[in-house]
Amino acid sequence: MDCRLFALQVDDWLDGRLNAADGQSMQLHLDSCSCCCSGYHDAKELRAQLRMLPAPALTPGFAERALAKAAAPVAAGRIGHRAVLGMALAASLVLGLGVAVILFAVRPEPVHTVVLTAWQPESVRLMFNAARPLLGATLSLSLPENVEIVGYGDRRELSWKTDLREGSNLLQLPLVMHGPAGGELVARLSLGASSKTFRLKIEVRRADGAGALPALRASV
Amino acid sequence: MRPHVAFLHRLAWRFTGSVVDAEDLVQDVLLKLYPRGEELARIDQLRPWLAKVLYRQYVDFVRQRARSPVSGPAEDEQGDGDSLDAMAAVEEGPDGHAERGEWRERILAALGQLNPEQRAVVAMHDVEGYSLEELEPILQAPLGTLKSRLHRARQRLRALLGMEPFAAGERVRR
Repeated sequence: MDCRLFALQVDDWLDGRLNAADGQSMQLHLDSCSCCCSGYHDAKELRAQLRMLPAPALTPGFAERALAKAAAPVAAGRIGHRAVLGMALAASLVLGLGVAVILFAVRPEPVHTVVLTAWQPESVRLMFNAARPLLGATLSLSLPENVEIVGYGDRRELSWKTDLREGSNLLQLPLVMHGPAGGELVARLSLGASSKTFRLKIEVRRADGAGALPALRASV
Repeated sequence: MRPHVAFLHRLAWRFTGSVVDAEDLVQDVLLKLYPRGEELARIDQLRPWLAKVLYRQYVDFVRQRARSPVSGPAEDEQGDGDSLDAMAAVEEGPDGHAERGEWRERILAALGQLNPEQRAVVAMHDVEGYSLEELEPILQAPLGTLKSRLHRARQRLRALLGMEPFAAGERVRR
């Protein structure tokens, strides 16, 4: 046993994956090599620290909220935690949209396409960055014929009142495409006499997984 | 699904190191799985299966974030040859963490510098206590790949934490 072999096998040894004879060789080397001894104890210490690494508790109410959204995906605003959104477009309201991922709007040029896999529910998120609180705004969605909000069946038009807080507001929509053809989702945000319409092209993901980047950003 | 939310959240946090990202991941998984309640009811060992679904969602999350305008892909010089290895977290270097007093903070910071696949295998094996054999189906990689990935991850963690390398001149590989 030399130091090189010891270094190669030490993980297996600590994981209990060496047989008795190899383990004995490791121990003999360890007892006679102060250099490897130091590394060995550090490796053991790291393992012990990792095993004790705590994880944060669930945010109070998160489980209930998450399950409620999964069960009945109501378009309820998710209040923002994405400060980066406000950087480039501080004076505007931004609608960002991505599939199963939050996309951050920094550059002003919008992308107006998301890609979904047919017949597979996917989470599409609309991110609003409000420069000031918008209370009592009306958000309306119009879906293409072959796209459904999971749990809403044939409803293609949805409208509700919501409050947007200053900063980022995330709205999550579980969408499923019923067929290979895409379409256009139209979101209209109104407050008093002002309104803004956002258009999102929905494409189907090709068999090779390729497609346009799943992002849309637009500003008002 | 309710009894499993905390489990999913814990794993998601270990993968991402962020409560916000963990909640997003869990929400995505719940949205995906909720319509499949009957299928879930037929699964004997649900937690490993859920862990696999979560890991796949995490992989998608990392890939899509890497394509976003804000967090572009960073290069990992010596990965496992897997696609995700090209998406290592942005490096800060070990010096920036040397002054941190608490082990926990230092370890979390070091974990944050692993690439996503290394981080996942450390989280599942060294933190959560799964065996490599159990991780084969969850992380969808053969045993040899997982072993080498774990070995490299530990090497890198030790280096990032300023720990003693082995006498054989353990090369710190990312």
